[in-house]
Amino acid sequence: MTSKQPPRFATWMLKHFGSGPDNDTVLGDLAEQYVQNGSASWYRRQALKAIWVSLFREIRAHKGSAVVALLTGWVLWAFNVTSIFPLITPYFFNINPDGPTIGVAIRPSDPIGSVLTVLSAPVRLHAALNQPFSFAFAVALPFVAWALIGGLVAIIANLHLEANQTGLPPRAKVTIGFHRDRQTAAVFLFAGSTLLLNLLLTGYFVLHLQMLVHGPSQEWSSAFGHLAAYVAASVVGILLGGTLMGGLLHDKSTVVRN
Amino acid sequence: MLLLALQRLGEGAYGVTIARELEEQTGREVVVASVYATLDRLQERGLVVSRLGESTPERGGRAKRYFRITGAGIREVREARRSLMNLWKGLPDLNLKGEKA
Repeated sequence: MTSKQPPRFATWMLKHFGSGPDNDTVLGDLAEQYVQNGSASWYRRQALKAIWVSLFREIRAHKGSAVVALLTGWVLWAFNVTSIFPLITPYFFNINPDGPTIGVAIRPSDPIGSVLTVLSAPVRLHAALNQPFSFAFAVALPFVAWALIGGLVAIIANLHLEANQTGLPPRAKVTIGFHRDRQTAAVFLFAGSTLLLNLLLTGYFVLHLQMLVHGPSQEWSSAFGHLAAYVAASVVGILLGGTLMGGLLHDKSTVVRN
Repeated sequence: MLLLALQRLGEGAYGVTIARELEEQTGREVVVASVYATLDRLQERGLVVSRLGESTPERGGRAKRYFRITGAGIREVREARRSLMNLWKGLPDLNLKGEKA
């Protein structure tokens, strides 16, 4: 029993966001080095770098699963925005159910603008309908939706990885089976793609509306605040849903293997 | 470099000892996770093999992963050394030139 415990938050981060079969071993190595002669800052630095190293390593090793996870996530979100959100919109806004819906507009002549409408529909809807900002609709509901999608991305990535393992020799399968979190990299990749796409589209939005020329008005500042809250809710939702599902898959896997 | 570290460490080569050996030899901080990333690639090429070892309380009960260089790995090290020696041959004495400059 030792009294010197590694920094808890860094350990939690690496445990939940580190991916790949070596994650537990790396955690053990870092804990051992920390107890022997490591500092807290050294441990945090190593843990953070380990998350990135494992993430890129897993994506590179399982490109097919990464692509499947990305496609799954974005198809689900497009389905959600075009089919589910329009059904529940009237419960949040005082509008006619047969009237204007969530405002997704697919125009072949403007592919970037079309993607923008799919991606940020819950926030843009307020402007389209000239309605006051609804936190429940634009942040809380997308948070839940993205969390569910993040969980599904974890499941699909896990299934894809399991299917790919069937061709491996039994020894390799046992080695992989001892470890969870192979789907964590896919969830991280999907969350990263959401963040990146939102940032790119926000930049496009700004340039498209020539805001840089005219300067942001108070309304635009407010709209960007809402957009930022929505994007943060999206990314956190995906990570939370994906991580929780990863934990459930791990527990199930452990019970089955025991 | 990793293969040489494994050769030097012998049976006691696992993440902590490998990282420490590399740090001592290079004088730079080594990211432990990067060591595993490289070792996994070497294992895929059949240059090293690994096995799970014992766990200790200071590791939080997590098992060590020991690595050992294979015959193919030793041949690879020899080949790399031979190539390096060949490259050095015919070069002027860089160290002396540097001192004169």
